[in-house]
Amino acid sequence: MIKKLQLILVAVLLCVSAKINAQDDLSLQAILIDSVLTENANAIVRSEDIVIEINSINSVTVKTKRIVTVLNKYGNRHADLSEYYDPEIKIKKVQAIVYNALGQEVKKIRRKDFKDRSVYDGGSLIDDNRILYFEHTPTEYPYTLVYECITENKSTAWIRPWFPIGGVYLSVEESKYTVINSKKIPLRTNEKQFNGYPVDVKMGDQELTYKLSKIAAIEPEQKGPPIRELVPNAKVALKDFSLVNVEGSAMDWKSFGKWQYDNLVSGRGELSTETIRKVDALVSDADTNREKAKRIYEYVQKKSRYVGIQLGIGGWMPMLASDVDRLGYGDCKALTNYTKALLDSQGIESYYCVVWRDDYKRNIDPEFASLEGNHVILNVPDGEKDIWLECTSQTLPFDFNDSTTDDRNVLVVKPDGGEIKRTKKYMPEENTLHTIATISLRPDASIDAEVTSVSKGLQYDSRYLTKLESVKDQKLYFKEYWDHINNLNILSLDLEDDKNNISYQENAKINARNYATKAGSRLLVIPNVFNRVSSKMTKYKNRKTPLVISRGYIDTDEYIINIPAGYLINKLPEEKVFATVFGMYKSSLEKVDESTLKYTRKLRINDGEYPKEKYEEYRQFMSKIRNADKSKIVLKQQ
Amino acid sequence: MKKIHKTIGIVFMVLTIHMSAQEYKFGKVSKEELLEKAYPLDSSANAAVLYENKKVSVAYSTDKGFQLITEVFKRVKLYNKDGFEYASEELFLYKNGGNKESVTGLKGATFTLVDGKIRETKLKKDGVFKSEFSEYYNQQKFTMPSIEEGSVIEYKYRVISPFLSIIDRIYLQYKIPIKKMEVKVESPEYYSYKKFSTGYLPINLKETTSNDKITFTNKVRSRPSHGRGGSDSNFYQNTVDFRVNQDNIESINVPAFKEEPYSGNTENYISSLSYELSFVKFPNEAIDYRSTTWEDVTKKIYKSPNFGDELKKTSYYKDDVENLLTGVTNEIEKTSLIYTFVKNKMNWNKKRGVYARKGVKKAYKETTGNTAEINLMLTSMLNYAKIDANPVIASTGDRLISLFPTLNGFNYVLTRVKLADGSVFYLDATDKYGVPNVLPNRIIRGMGRVIAKNGTSQMVTFRPVKPSANIYQMQCQIDDQGVVKGKVSINHRDYLAHNFRVANAAKDDDSRAKRFEKKYGITELDEYTIKGVKEYGKGVNERFSFTIEDQIEAIDDEIFFSPLLFLRDKENVFKSDERQYPIDFGYGFSNKYMINLKIPEGYEVVEYPKTSAFKLPEDMGQFSFRSNVSNGVIQVVVDETIKSPVIPADYYPAIKEFYNQVILKENEQVVLKKI
Repeated sequence: MIKKLQLILVAVLLCVSAKINAQDDLSLQAILIDSVLTENANAIVRSEDIVIEINSINSVTVKTKRIVTVLNKYGNRHADLSEYYDPEIKIKKVQAIVYNALGQEVKKIRRKDFKDRSVYDGGSLIDDNRILYFEHTPTEYPYTLVYECITENKSTAWIRPWFPIGGVYLSVEESKYTVINSKKIPLRTNEKQFNGYPVDVKMGDQELTYKLSKIAAIEPEQKGPPIRELVPNAKVALKDFSLVNVEGSAMDWKSFGKWQYDNLVSGRGELSTETIRKVDALVSDADTNREKAKRIYEYVQKKSRYVGIQLGIGGWMPMLASDVDRLGYGDCKALTNYTKALLDSQGIESYYCVVWRDDYKRNIDPEFASLEGNHVILNVPDGEKDIWLECTSQTLPFDFNDSTTDDRNVLVVKPDGGEIKRTKKYMPEENTLHTIATISLRPDASIDAEVTSVSKGLQYDSRYLTKLESVKDQKLYFKEYWDHINNLNILSLDLEDDKNNISYQENAKINARNYATKAGSRLLVIPNVFNRVSSKMTKYKNRKTPLVISRGYIDTDEYIINIPAGYLINKLPEEKVFATVFGMYKSSLEKVDESTLKYTRKLRINDGEYPKEKYEEYRQFMSKIRNADKSKIVLKQQ
Repeated sequence: MKKIHKTIGIVFMVLTIHMSAQEYKFGKVSKEELLEKAYPLDSSANAAVLYENKKVSVAYSTDKGFQLITEVFKRVKLYNKDGFEYASEELFLYKNGGNKESVTGLKGATFTLVDGKIRETKLKKDGVFKSEFSEYYNQQKFTMPSIEEGSVIEYKYRVISPFLSIIDRIYLQYKIPIKKMEVKVESPEYYSYKKFSTGYLPINLKETTSNDKITFTNKVRSRPSHGRGGSDSNFYQNTVDFRVNQDNIESINVPAFKEEPYSGNTENYISSLSYELSFVKFPNEAIDYRSTTWEDVTKKIYKSPNFGDELKKTSYYKDDVENLLTGVTNEIEKTSLIYTFVKNKMNWNKKRGVYARKGVKKAYKETTGNTAEINLMLTSMLNYAKIDANPVIASTGDRLISLFPTLNGFNYVLTRVKLADGSVFYLDATDKYGVPNVLPNRIIRGMGRVIAKNGTSQMVTFRPVKPSANIYQMQCQIDDQGVVKGKVSINHRDYLAHNFRVANAAKDDDSRAKRFEKKYGITELDEYTIKGVKEYGKGVNERFSFTIEDQIEAIDDEIFFSPLLFLRDKENVFKSDERQYPIDFGYGFSNKYMINLKIPEGYEVVEYPKTSAFKLPEDMGQFSFRSNVSNGVIQVVVDETIKSPVIPADYYPAIKEFYNQVILKENEQVVLKKI
């Protein structure tokens, strides 16, 4: 009897365990995935469950369980097996299990299997960030990875946000994010791009949940916004928080900026009297604050250099100005703070500003105060205007935002609180490239030319650094820039960088064998020798994202073309004019005399964001320009 | 005096150069050095090493025994801001078990001329940063304070290492020029090192000997074990006289090393010297060989439990292989079955190495392993099946080519099979897309040694003999509006098929087709099909149809175009005026084009590019262009072939001009005229 009971029990247990396994298997079996999720996907987040437990203002526990099915080798990066940490973060648990397509366990990865090393990027002098990682070799596709990790962070100023769609070609079956706030520390949340996505939001007294399911993979599109601007995400911030043992309290940018000023920036600007005397002498005969600031900026550029320092609170707080003065180096925080201290010594007000340094114009969110940004610059109010200083560069002109900090919201950290300001936007009229050339075409189809280009604004920014390279590299730069001219020889180069007027002039003498093409008694020549739109844009059957033209510009070209004796042009091509909302293109060829032609071209591109329907129109506009730029003329031998 | 090895491309010039003596004393930077505005021999230099003194010695200390001491004294001039990166130095310090390398005596200062006076700022503790980099390395960095354009920095330090088997590569050339450099390498006769060098610059090396003595008072840790292991203890109680071998290298005005594109591995071209411990011989003890000849090196590897023993194990695969080969007797079939079996079963973990790490058994069970595990397993199985197979130890193309027998020269294992008819195949089962004799790119630029069962070895290279081909066929027709419609078929053969698979096998057809839209600027591409992706060993064929409007130009009543349309070469990749290093293509290749182009009704051909051909010198490559027009159809057959995978720098102008001519010919125009 007892034996029978045992047998029944065993049978029941077997059933139960079999059932549990079967359920588990279902979510782990890669072969059962919905085609909505597999289309265009390299990997699928089967389920992600992040639980943030706020224990106190000095402790937050993050529990992550992520199940990812990887469909092919390009999806491996989504099966992340690494955890970053620093002295503030303790990794309490980390483990992973790999399953095959049928949901059978293939490999168990325990904590001791993970390796530990410094996150050394070669750019920083010192860095206390570390990484715990495991290098998994997939043995087949698809496979499923179940990753679990628990960390505890003593810093609560930044709380891991919810970013359910972590990349392109990645679909999401389910993602859940829970914040448990049992101590009821006042909490702020900010939700972005929830529109159009089935986000399930539950807001409780002590708990908050976001949930999203069944999202198809996104493909990146040319001239579209980055994915983080497209997908839903949410940020959470505590009113009372701690950052590497520095406690704070903030509800908005005003109070958050005030906290940053009081705890991270203020009191770090003391300078020796000797240094102040030096600065006094430096600016003594300058009339305006602008001129004084310029001299001080150039002094910092000459004296200092950038080195990265990521150590403890040093990752957030600048080095003392006196240390930068003595050592002559620092990171962005240190060099900005040092420049600020030098300006302070002359009674010129300036403010430490936090910015996202990125070629895409990424804003500090004006609506939601949180620990943001990856870079620091200096703001010097000058009457109605603002001067912006990039203190880590030894080469940028005074008051110049390059394309990594232009036209975006930044946090200005002032003694009485934070403020959001916008950095300088360069209008198309300011980003100019003017090219003039005299070109002599020879009967053997070669050309000799003298060409002069003047660039300004962001076009200056993209070119002026060439001057600092060796002559060999300068020549190579021009050979790449004019890569449509085969057999190009750069005979001489003269580069002038006028930092005061932020204008860069390039003078080049060149020649090229067989620039023109011979066909019997004809010479086929492309009159646009030096400035062609050459890249082709992708055509989309179904464009999904808006068109972003991040910066406008104006290019103007004037070339005098001397044609060889004995050759004549039959008929001048018609003037080409294309005008659209994105800009304007005009090119024409005229006869100066029997042996001289003049080619003129003007291209204006307007920056802006346009609805997705406009993309095709823009593509056609650029395509027409491309064809016009490479159109030939025929010279006939008489 | 030891005989100096003479090796390919390297000349040791044993000369005594009388130096116009400038004294370089630490802390004594001259005004002239500070005033110098540019490096006199190369004005493009952002910084220059004014002086470097490096002394590497195997030295005895009473408590630690023999240690490797590296002393560095370096003085660097920073001409401008782009040279500031040379104001920092980073050292990676090896550690293993209880032994580790350490830095002592770090001192440094920055000298700058301020108002005619020399200002000296010392390197302090806050400029020195130490961290634990990984399990095997500590890291120490320092950066010099208060540098400005024109500053001279100077530092010295000493690295003490218990690891005597390897002296880190000594660079005799940098990316900035060197005014003067003195290197001294010293070792007692007990430790005999082999040296090898790289680069095209002559090395002025002088060998001398001197005498020294040690009074042993205590136990001596004298025997670092295999590789970079620990050491054993021995006891001596006497005074010993011994000889010290000294190498002195003195160089002046060493030009900066400049990188060139398409060079293969530039590490092979920079001037440097490396030393490896070849044997240890203490008085009254047997000689302990570490490495001397290739035979010794290969024997050593072969005897290692992580190599030779792994080869002998059979039990773990026995049943599987027996099953696999049931009823198969043909040796080609057997080889092919085993190779395919290992290739499919095993997954390379991207780790290179000559030695098995976790062992073949475990690797087999987990179906993952490094190069040694996978290919030793393969060799072993082939041997088990009575196939004549040998392991090949090799170095990948990104490694320094070792010209001297050295244990460090290898980082890879392959398998060589010799069939009864004498034909030879190289196999690499780490490469899923590989086939016999088509090895992955990482290895074809390298070299290797086949190890026979008795431990003897023979050098081999892996570059394919025959150029691989891409064959393009295009059928198209032009209408009177200048629109071209047509079909393209592309055959990728041999290595080019292999490369295609590496790059595209895991992609879907849509992304494969998009490659062409991008590469050729085709906006309307349809009917994309592909064959042979999974038929390894065969070619891959891609086909598509297209419509284009921008390859044809109509001016007045004439139509102009290149007969190759979008397939033509447009840009010469060789842009530099000159070049110092060979051009390394990896393998020979051909691009062949066969074009059939129908012209619109009502037009006639008035001009077209004529048949022509030219060659590179020494038969390194050739180009031919054949054309024919009949019944309104233009036929063009083009062959661009580079036969020689490596083209010496002397022929740079020739290859540059070769491509210029190719582009010129392929861009010649057809002219159609309205009848």
